[in-house]
Amino acid sequence: MSHGAATEAPAGRIGGPAIDAVGRALARLTLPVLLLLPALIIIVGLVGYPLAKTIWLSFTETRLGDLIDGSGEWVGLENYKEVFTDDHLRTSLVNTVVFGTACVVGTMVFGFAVALLLNQRLRGNVLFSVAVLLPWAVPALAASAIWRWLFDDRYGFVNWALVNIGFSSFRDYAWFADRESAYVAIFVTVVWQSFPFVALSLLAGLQTLPRETLHAAAVDGASAWQRFRLVTLPLLRPIVAVLVVFSTIWDFKIFDQIYVMATGVPERAADTAAVTAYRESFALGHYGVGAAVAVVLFAVLLVFSIVYVRMIGREARA
Amino acid sequence: MKGLRWLAAGALAGALAVAGCGGSDDDEGTGAKAGGKVSGTVTTWIMDPGSPKLQEVFKGYAKDFEAKHAGTDVKIEFVPWAQAHDKFTTAIAGGKVPDVAEMGTTWTPEFADQGAFEAVPSSGSGEYVSSLVDAATLDDKVWGKPWYAGARALIYRKDVFKKAGIAEPPKTWDELKAAAAAIKQKGGGIYPIALNGLTEHYYLPTIWQAGGEIATQDGDSWKAAVDSPEAVQAIDYYTSFYKQGYTPKAAIGWEEPDAQEAFINGDIAMLIAGGWTYNSIIQTKPELKSKIGTALAPAGPSGKDTAFAGGSHLVVFKESKNTEAANAFVDFMLEPANLNKFTSEIGFLPGTVAGIKASGYLDDPVRKPFAEQLLDHSAVYPPSPRWGALEGANIFDGVIQNVMKGKETPEQAAQSLSEKMDQEFAG
Repeated sequence: MSHGAATEAPAGRIGGPAIDAVGRALARLTLPVLLLLPALIIIVGLVGYPLAKTIWLSFTETRLGDLIDGSGEWVGLENYKEVFTDDHLRTSLVNTVVFGTACVVGTMVFGFAVALLLNQRLRGNVLFSVAVLLPWAVPALAASAIWRWLFDDRYGFVNWALVNIGFSSFRDYAWFADRESAYVAIFVTVVWQSFPFVALSLLAGLQTLPRETLHAAAVDGASAWQRFRLVTLPLLRPIVAVLVVFSTIWDFKIFDQIYVMATGVPERAADTAAVTAYRESFALGHYGVGAAVAVVLFAVLLVFSIVYVRMIGREARA
Repeated sequence: MKGLRWLAAGALAGALAVAGCGGSDDDEGTGAKAGGKVSGTVTTWIMDPGSPKLQEVFKGYAKDFEAKHAGTDVKIEFVPWAQAHDKFTTAIAGGKVPDVAEMGTTWTPEFADQGAFEAVPSSGSGEYVSSLVDAATLDDKVWGKPWYAGARALIYRKDVFKKAGIAEPPKTWDELKAAAAAIKQKGGGIYPIALNGLTEHYYLPTIWQAGGEIATQDGDSWKAAVDSPEAVQAIDYYTSFYKQGYTPKAAIGWEEPDAQEAFINGDIAMLIAGGWTYNSIIQTKPELKSKIGTALAPAGPSGKDTAFAGGSHLVVFKESKNTEAANAFVDFMLEPANLNKFTSEIGFLPGTVAGIKASGYLDDPVRKPFAEQLLDHSAVYPPSPRWGALEGANIFDGVIQNVMKGKETPEQAAQSLSEKMDQEFAG
């Protein structure tokens, strides 16, 4: 018996480790997969499903009734053709890129200026830093309504102030009667709302800069502008890149401000892609076309994001 | 008269009870309880009347109904008109509908076409204002009960007219234009009138006034009729006020409440307004009451002074979990005593012919034009399921705004409008 057992045992030992190894590997894999599964399901459900559904919708002709019973006629690229040939839809995409870029530039420039100012050792800077945060805390919808009033033709503060400092042509000036002037008002609103985040992020960056480097540059005779351009900016580049990506994503999918402030612009010429996607779907009932606009906007943002992520990567390696 | 209306309401309630039993797709299977005890929650969306006093009237309905039917809970939510169409669409798409809602008459066929509502059994009594029943009819079924209605007439500042030397309120397009010119010149800096870029109920009726049609029915489908010389004339006339500076520059982007506000602030002297707007104005600013005169809408070259008969239906949603209580609450709101309370408060007219005659409007010289306008000088837009989308699409506004800005001629506008309408009618 003992002999038999001894001969059996080595046989078990030969096959044992291999099976054990696979089992251990499986166990090692199973646990993480099991642990990740809930998060994965939630992400797929909340992000993946709507995305897939929107992309599918964009290839169909879907009305409200079709949406309820889940039917919808497959039309291939028809909706995308309309997005790029229809004047209004194309304009809204161009608006998104041009106006969005302008907002990003405006936000970054103004944010940088405020950050540099707050970085000076001035009395009351803590108070100012807190005050700067306030516009960011105002809900976008409320801010848009407030700024719409400030730009009101007859009772608005902006026209009143402009007339009082000598620009009398701004008496009863209708800011929202033209795309360009409406964009000026909306630009101010967007920049006012988004500069605090940029300014405080940059301020945090500025305060981590090594003082010695800046001192050395000053000793070597670099002017303030040169120090900013050649020392501060390169050192802050990773933060700036991230902020530009964030701002681009935010400003390209801008909705609330346009929805509230641009409704009266003739022919809705100031609408951006996000608003157009919404209106095309829920006001006109063209869910397929609306989805196509949304997908195009998604693709544009994806391209911008990839380009910026690449840029950051290069900076990190350099 | 009062007894008669009670009778009508009773007949309607009876008819409803029958419908509750016989409805083929009624999966509740408990229709026999209709008219008996109702319970549960009834979520009701009412268009925001814009005045706290009126909101109280609606909330009062909920309280009274709850008191009458123990175990019910009526939730009233106010939805602004400007966002309502989008909100209904998203609610239906997302399956999150209320039980009962006030529905703009031009939207009822659209959502009914999508199967959103419970059908209403036809009363057949002719008790309702017929154009409002027409507006709720699709495929020979009625989908909403007329609640109230109104038509826009003209209100004006008597003091400004006096200052500008205008003796009589304008009765024709030409007289309105002349009055505007006089006010611009001698009115003391006040704008003559607000003819907005975003208010189709202002400009579309001018097509009727010119003798044209907006669309014509051809079997089941509709076809635009705005590429006519009459429509061109109407667009030209309407936009000329803006071009000549008789309307504030910002009005190109105004909706109706903006014009109303401008009138209240004393920035404009004339306003196209219904009885509800008039009520709201004198409630907000009582000192204007003695200064306001009213008249029928000015007649166009065809001699017609037609205005749009707008109003609301009360609808019950098919996906409501509590159609019994929902129907009971609708009927409760339509009881003459309740209807009277509401319509007299809001400045609309009841959706019943007898109700209008009993409302006292015809005996009040200031309010008489509003009632006359609705009864004898009004029409409804084509009850096509696509009309709501036409409105939602801003097809009309964009075209009118282009002419106001001089980017298009009235002829080009009529042409492109006609094409866009046909495109939408086709779906």
